[in-house]
Amino acid sequence: MDEASFSPPPQPWGQPAAAPPSLRPIDFVSEGSKFLKLLIRGAALQLVTFGFYRFWLATDIRRHLWSHSMIDGENAEYTGSGRELLIGFLFALAILVPIYLVYFLIGIEAERMQAFASVPLGLFMALFASFAAYRARRYRLTRTVWRGVRFWMQGSGWKFAFLAFGWMILVTLSLGAAWPWRAAALERYKMRNTFYGDMQADFDARPFDFFKKGLAMWLFALLSVALVIGGSALSAIASSGRGWGGLLIGLGVIGMIAIPFMYPFFRALEWRWWASGVNFGGTRIECNLRGGQLLGLFFKYLVIAWLVTGVAAMLIFAIGAAVAEISGISIKTLDVKKLNDLMSGDTWILVAGAAFGYLTIMLAAGVVQRFFLQHEYWRMITSTITIIRPEAMENVAAKGDIANALGEGLADGFDIAGF
Amino acid sequence: MIAEDAGQAAFFDGKSNRRRTVALRLGPELEICEGGIPIASWPWDWVRRADSPKSQLRLRCANAHDLARLDIQDEALAQRIIVRCTRLDVEDASGKSGTGRIIAWSIAATVSIVLIGLYGMPYAADRIAPLLPQSIENRLGDMVDNQVKTIFGRRTCDAGDGQKAFTKLVGKLETAGGLLMPLQAAVLDSGVKNAIALPGGKVYLFRGLLDEAKNADEIAGVLGHELGHVHHRDGMRRLLQTGGTSFLLGLLFGDVTGAGAVIVATRTLLEASYSRDAETNADGFAIDTMHKLGRPATPMAELLVRITGPQRGKGIDILASHPFSEDRLARMKKIEIEKPGEQLLNAEEWAALKAICGKPAVTESKSKDPGEKPAPEKTP
Repeated sequence: MDEASFSPPPQPWGQPAAAPPSLRPIDFVSEGSKFLKLLIRGAALQLVTFGFYRFWLATDIRRHLWSHSMIDGENAEYTGSGRELLIGFLFALAILVPIYLVYFLIGIEAERMQAFASVPLGLFMALFASFAAYRARRYRLTRTVWRGVRFWMQGSGWKFAFLAFGWMILVTLSLGAAWPWRAAALERYKMRNTFYGDMQADFDARPFDFFKKGLAMWLFALLSVALVIGGSALSAIASSGRGWGGLLIGLGVIGMIAIPFMYPFFRALEWRWWASGVNFGGTRIECNLRGGQLLGLFFKYLVIAWLVTGVAAMLIFAIGAAVAEISGISIKTLDVKKLNDLMSGDTWILVAGAAFGYLTIMLAAGVVQRFFLQHEYWRMITSTITIIRPEAMENVAAKGDIANALGEGLADGFDIAGF
Repeated sequence: MIAEDAGQAAFFDGKSNRRRTVALRLGPELEICEGGIPIASWPWDWVRRADSPKSQLRLRCANAHDLARLDIQDEALAQRIIVRCTRLDVEDASGKSGTGRIIAWSIAATVSIVLIGLYGMPYAADRIAPLLPQSIENRLGDMVDNQVKTIFGRRTCDAGDGQKAFTKLVGKLETAGGLLMPLQAAVLDSGVKNAIALPGGKVYLFRGLLDEAKNADEIAGVLGHELGHVHHRDGMRRLLQTGGTSFLLGLLFGDVTGAGAVIVATRTLLEASYSRDAETNADGFAIDTMHKLGRPATPMAELLVRITGPQRGKGIDILASHPFSEDRLARMKKIEIEKPGEQLLNAEEWAALKAICGKPAVTESKSKDPGEKPAPEKTP
């Protein structure tokens, strides 16, 4: 796998070759055990608050991650609050409810006319999700403070949504080949609307570089799918071609099994390419994340997630069995009739217990997921990033105001909330 | 009184990101001096902690610039400052008092949502359903009608005298029940032993049920029950309740990881309970209507028991969408009329109705269901 890094494009004003740029790492000084404690406490609170604690947990997580990331010796700060997220969520509900209602009524009409009128509605929802993602980024950015100056963002969420949507059509039509160009267009829009104080950010990575380095992976994935389709077609057309068709399908399936293992390498490539394009008034970053590192992280996460959910499930089953034994029901002879006898007297304990056990397992899985896919992922990314020429970000004047959390609320409504 | 310089710190004034090395003086207020000149003074009561790793103390001031920050690396100095700040962690949202409030409000919100789901929703649906214009209900009915015909077949039966008898029977029930909206009833050529009422006053009797019936009273009772659904606008109410419950539960659980199954389970329980209520009311309507016509209501329940057998204990009771057939029979027996009046259909009319789908009435034995029947939306 090609792990070469992307070289940033030459500076417009032309740095003298003799002066090498100053380099600084990002130090992530978090202790895993502390973050784990935060997560477990958050999961327990989610259980007793029927999930409402999610807004405060998201805030706690961000505060922890931000405040333990040292950039040029100063840690970043997240200044958002759970209350803001809750209000954003309630506002989002006020917007989403009428939309869902209209959606529903139009659905009825469409069904009546037997047209495929529900397709454009799906498209509208896809647009809306992009809009929410943009506005959520804006909220998070305006709550991010470094050295007493906040980041902020302008631009229109709808414009971004249309951009993302239009490019998605091209990506689909080109069978994925246009992906780097889409990524570049979206990042350009996001970064050129991003500010740190009075300093405007920029994104100038070349999509063709991304395309070149990802070409092998793209062709491999395309070929695997093509083999399966071609093989099926061959065996369908002629009975004599069945042997060859089977062979092609087999090869294609092997290729498709390899695709998930290739994914971390693709993500790492995208990270390196993205980092090479970020520019804050001359301060740039470089990322040397390798695909193998990500693969290792994903693997560790999957193994531990299985272990933890398995152990949690067994524990809860054991507790359930013990409780049942005490109240005189044997698990072995438990039948529907007994269950009904138990529930007929308004004994909802069994139902509540089952729901409680299920939720506990799910929350345990959530803790593992957040630990690996947020905390450890963050650690990995920050440890592979180097800041080039940080001094260019000095003497920035404060500018920009905070944005509301509506985007976050909408994203929560669509279930696409990030961290 | 001029305090001594206690130590150095880094100061960011919130207006620019320039790092300023400052000297701190711990006097009556926290004085911040640059080059011997005081540039800010923070009252101890207003100094708050800002997020930072363990290696340093970061402070802000609640009545100074929102983003002004003071970073103190020296641990001894940090300790001296901390003891002077009386309200260092007061507004900390993740503090104990904050968490207690969140828990209390969450539980209160959950209780209110559950109460709305159990009592408020059915109440609101009862009040709103009659207010909705008939045209909306008709449209819904057309939509469901399409689906029903896709599932159960499109052929309706209207063979000669059979249709006449059916119209007569339905007309009698309609008049006796005092229905407020136009009714469209038909026999659908399907082996399923069932009858259904759709929004917008459409009632379908399936041939399977007709084959199973032994007399006109059994069919009349079933039709009366479906007319009850139409009269109470149960289709519309069900829709309103389902939509409302889904919304409420989404509000409650949001995106707790994987709580989807809990949402589905809770919804099933709630809907089953709504549905049992609606069925009981439709039975009440059927009983009243039959009694007004001077006919007994029990034959309908006897037909049901013949089809379903005793139901108690067969499934999980609280998930059942209907009251048990044996309970319905018991209820109808309890309030049965003493002296039945005139038959609703005479013998010829009944025979014609049985043959409405063009099949002789003697095919009764062959009319067993082909395999397990799919659980239809409404059994009579």
